[in-house]
Amino acid sequence: MTTVAVHPVPDTSLFLPDLKLKRKESVLHEMACVAQKAGAVRDAELLHETLLRRERWCPSAVGKGVAVPNARSLAVTEPRLVIARARRGLEWGASDRVAVQLVLLVLSTSEMSVDSHLERVMRAIAITRTQRNRLKLLEAEDARIVTALLREAAL
Amino acid sequence: MTEATLLELHDLDLQLAEARQAAHVGKLKKLGFEPGERLSLERLRARLLAGVERRWVQHYERALQRYGRGLVAMRERVCLGCFVTLPTSASPGVGESLTLCESCGRILYWR
Repeated sequence: MTTVAVHPVPDTSLFLPDLKLKRKESVLHEMACVAQKAGAVRDAELLHETLLRRERWCPSAVGKGVAVPNARSLAVTEPRLVIARARRGLEWGASDRVAVQLVLLVLSTSEMSVDSHLERVMRAIAITRTQRNRLKLLEAEDARIVTALLREAAL
Repeated sequence: MTEATLLELHDLDLQLAEARQAAHVGKLKKLGFEPGERLSLERLRARLLAGVERRWVQHYERALQRYGRGLVAMRERVCLGCFVTLPTSASPGVGESLTLCESCGRILYWR
């Protein structure tokens, strides 16, 4: 049996409530830099490059206004979930053509197995599957509400 | 140049490990993603390898074949590949951040 750490102890500094950026590349860069400032990433540029390459291979928009970019990278020192909100919506190339308003960036260390990483991605997606949760994330007034939702959802 | 390219190569290999396994690709599809062909990743790998000094390529490929990863991070002087604590003398030179683990032979990233 494998035990997978849930995205735990969501760090309130890893919540970007109102992104002003418009391009996917800039958003990913901003999120990587925020994760570096929070001490979860040792090299934001390497992480950004890894995220962009992964986007080219496997676009991260999963529909309904949600994108879940993710990476297993040497740049990551601590597994983390970074959440960003873009109320105006971002062009992310989703197959349902809905602009992305919620970006959940799943970061795993390079020591983690592919299975553990994908499990974490699956949990992040699961949080946003219900309209109720998406609305809660979109309307949360501060990071504490988001943190509570993540604790409640990522059982 | 070699350092940055090696780090990128390492992350690409992690991604390729996922892309080469049908089971992992299947999981991604089940999650709602649409992974593309891995051919472009393989091409990029060949390009990156060409940009790395030969001695590092040899160490990297040997460790990759043997352990599944050619490069690992250091934490508090411990190799995160074999978990052996390295002596102070194993530190990289000034301005460098890569050395070899004396125990397992993986390339160590010291930042």
